[in-house]
Amino acid sequence: MADTALVTLVTRDSARLEFACPAGMDVLSAAETAGFYLPAMCHAGECGQCHAHAQSGAYEMAPHSKAALPDPGQGGILLCRCQPRGDLTIDLPYEDAKIARQPLITRSAIIESLTPAGEGALALTLTLTPDAQLGGAADFIPGQYMELTVPGTEIRRAYSLANLPNWDGRLDFLIRLVPGGAFSTWLGTRARVGEELSLRGPLGHFTLDDASPRPRVLVGGGCGAAPLVAMLRHLADYQDSLPTHLIFAANREAELLPPALFEELRAGLPQLEITLCVWHPSPGWDGFTGTAAEALAAHLAAQTEMPDIYLCGPPKMLDTARAAALAQGVPAERIFAERLAV
Amino acid sequence: MFCFQCEQTARTETGAGCASARGVCGKDEATADLQDVLIYQLKGLGQYAHRLHQQGRPDAAADSFILYGLFTTLTNVNFNRVRFVELIAEAARIRDRLRGTLGETLAGPAAFQPADNLAGLLAQADIASVRAGLNIVGEDVIGLRALVLYGLKGVAAYAHHAEVLGEVRPEIGAGIAHALDFLATDPVDADTLLAEALALGQLNFTVMETLDAANTGRFGSPTPTQVRTTPVAGKAILVSGHDLGDLAAILEATKDTGINVYTHGEMLPAHSYPKLHAYPHLAGNYGTAWQNQHQEFAAFPGPIVMTSNCLIEPQPAYRNRIFTMGPVGWPGVRHLTHADLALVVRAAQALPGFAETAPEKTILVGFGRDTVLSAAETVIGAVKSGAIRHFFLIGGCDGAAPGRNYYTEFAEQAPDDTMLLTLGCGKYRFNQENFGEIGGLPRLLDMGQCNDAYSAVQVALALSKAFECGVNDLPLSLVISWFEQKAAAVLLTLLALGVRNLRLGPSLPAFLTPALLNVLVEKFGVQPITNAQDDITAALTRQAA
Repeated sequence: MADTALVTLVTRDSARLEFACPAGMDVLSAAETAGFYLPAMCHAGECGQCHAHAQSGAYEMAPHSKAALPDPGQGGILLCRCQPRGDLTIDLPYEDAKIARQPLITRSAIIESLTPAGEGALALTLTLTPDAQLGGAADFIPGQYMELTVPGTEIRRAYSLANLPNWDGRLDFLIRLVPGGAFSTWLGTRARVGEELSLRGPLGHFTLDDASPRPRVLVGGGCGAAPLVAMLRHLADYQDSLPTHLIFAANREAELLPPALFEELRAGLPQLEITLCVWHPSPGWDGFTGTAAEALAAHLAAQTEMPDIYLCGPPKMLDTARAAALAQGVPAERIFAERLAV
Repeated sequence: MFCFQCEQTARTETGAGCASARGVCGKDEATADLQDVLIYQLKGLGQYAHRLHQQGRPDAAADSFILYGLFTTLTNVNFNRVRFVELIAEAARIRDRLRGTLGETLAGPAAFQPADNLAGLLAQADIASVRAGLNIVGEDVIGLRALVLYGLKGVAAYAHHAEVLGEVRPEIGAGIAHALDFLATDPVDADTLLAEALALGQLNFTVMETLDAANTGRFGSPTPTQVRTTPVAGKAILVSGHDLGDLAAILEATKDTGINVYTHGEMLPAHSYPKLHAYPHLAGNYGTAWQNQHQEFAAFPGPIVMTSNCLIEPQPAYRNRIFTMGPVGWPGVRHLTHADLALVVRAAQALPGFAETAPEKTILVGFGRDTVLSAAETVIGAVKSGAIRHFFLIGGCDGAAPGRNYYTEFAEQAPDDTMLLTLGCGKYRFNQENFGEIGGLPRLLDMGQCNDAYSAVQVALALSKAFECGVNDLPLSLVISWFEQKAAAVLLTLLALGVRNLRLGPSLPAFLTPALLNVLVEKFGVQPITNAQDDITAALTRQAA
């Protein structure tokens, strides 16, 4: 085996990035060494953020979570765990523009507000501390996330942004509290307005294909609301006119997002249709009863033009919704997903 | 997708042209196909508009839409599929209106009914392909049609720039409608096609004159001006493209805000227009030509506004702080009108700006025709005394191709007793160098944007009058670098004016077949570039002979 393998990354828009990967190094690290900062989160084979497909060449996968890699038999790889065993060509599920050419930046922000947002969830608003080199703008693409550090620790957790990029440095998050979770515990018990946080980003490639003229269906569940809310706000901001449908699922009504949020989205995006799904509703529920995947299947069955699908939520919801979309004839490359670690 | 309209088009063993899922410029297949459909519709609009012009009943709004529509399809202008779907629907509505006005239903592209969804539109794209009918008419006719179409795109772009500054002349709308109507007939006669191309070149001369009138009428006649090329500490906005009206609006919106405005690329000549130069916060020129924008825009610490070509795919580092105006577009990049400029101001205030003032460096611009002609006596005297042996106009577009080093080498190797005139963004290959003086004038005279070829022609005509000779007898050689369709329009103008002694590079247009290139060489004296030293020697030898 050669000491160094040539890795070729092929983006969704056919850009080709080539770099050397020394023996023993994973593709993600080799890419960063070459100056390509690919979307990734845990760097430990757990989150699935760096999921891609090997097109040709041999490789080995270091230990990783099965939930993060649903398709190992079909060439599925996690770049952070993938070590080439010879020259390797890999298809990336995003465009060249999603690949940063600069290292990630760590900066600080102040908690502006912290308010309840449905049962077991909080709306957190931060304001970036102006920086002489970076300015004060909140610069990200709707659908991306930031890594927030639990104060006093090295523990980082990723949360998607729910608002739009802006020049005021404002960052809005919708955070579902995970019992026992490091950031959730801090947020639910000790966080105070005015407190300073360290954060890194923006990160992630789960963003809208702005160039697509197809209808869109956004499907979210659990803690997967924030990026979809940001995307819908972006579409409203750009006065987008394409048919857009939001399917949002929860186990119980109380876990749905606040009604005022849906009203805001409808007001900004008049063509928006919303299906709220509750798996175990209380008597009197007049919305969709069932899972997000079932609601998606029902919606697609009534369509003549297959839409682009955006999925964000826990792995099981993603897998079932993806299967439903594929079964209805949506091409795999038109399904965009953000797999949330649980 | 098939597109071979620009210089950087893919050239493979199987032939030239971008025919994959994504062109070299970054235009994807669907966008390319939608642009073809729009062009096909514009031919249909041209059919109606031509007849309405003939009847003295032109539809000004339709003429304006045609200019804008053609401009959106130039290289590196608009990549937004959704925008093209909208434009296609709008074109159909305008066609219906013109049909009602004319009171007659025309066949051909005028009868085309676009589908109401993307899949349908893409399925219709074959009929609109620039190579439609290739098997029947052959490569030469396809190439000549492309020459007319691409020249027409350039003409429309210049006409649009003049129009937004308030200069509209009916003969321009009539000429463009005529050319579209001509293309709608699927012409096959080579002589007729070539004649139409030359007529377009003549029309483009009028258009460039109109744009010159628009620019100088609004902002004054260019005067020699030192332009700072290093940053000044403070908040900053970068303005790229060609549209002086957009720059003026940005300067007005940023007046007294403490924000400095920098020009980029083809906006550099703006500094020489007195009414733009009068804004004290028009601080300088930043960066080089368009192909370096990924690095230069990422490093610029403020918002960037693209007013026309050349836009290439915005990188994540600056995607949220780049804005488009006019015909320009990229999916997910905010498009602005003059009413929205407060947003750019807000962005500039939020972004860091330049932390420090760098040591001052400057370049000299502003040698428009008035300035050069005001020094005509000096120039003529210098030629007669032998101080100036020859003039080289090294002008046109820049691009990424390595072969473009030729133009740097040409400028550097031209003898000291030759004067260098330049225009377009190709000048960034050498405009920071010190070429010294000749006959009391700088050896390098920057005449402006690519459309200021009009100025260059005026100077050449004035010199030929002074020397009582034809333009082709002057000690003048043109060394042209082309990239996109405005350069094609300027080339047609030079051919139409009978200007010979013209070298073209870095590569010749892919849509011109060997037979057509032979016509250019034989009939018009166009020569491909070889290497700088040989071409300089050949030009000077010709003159000596």
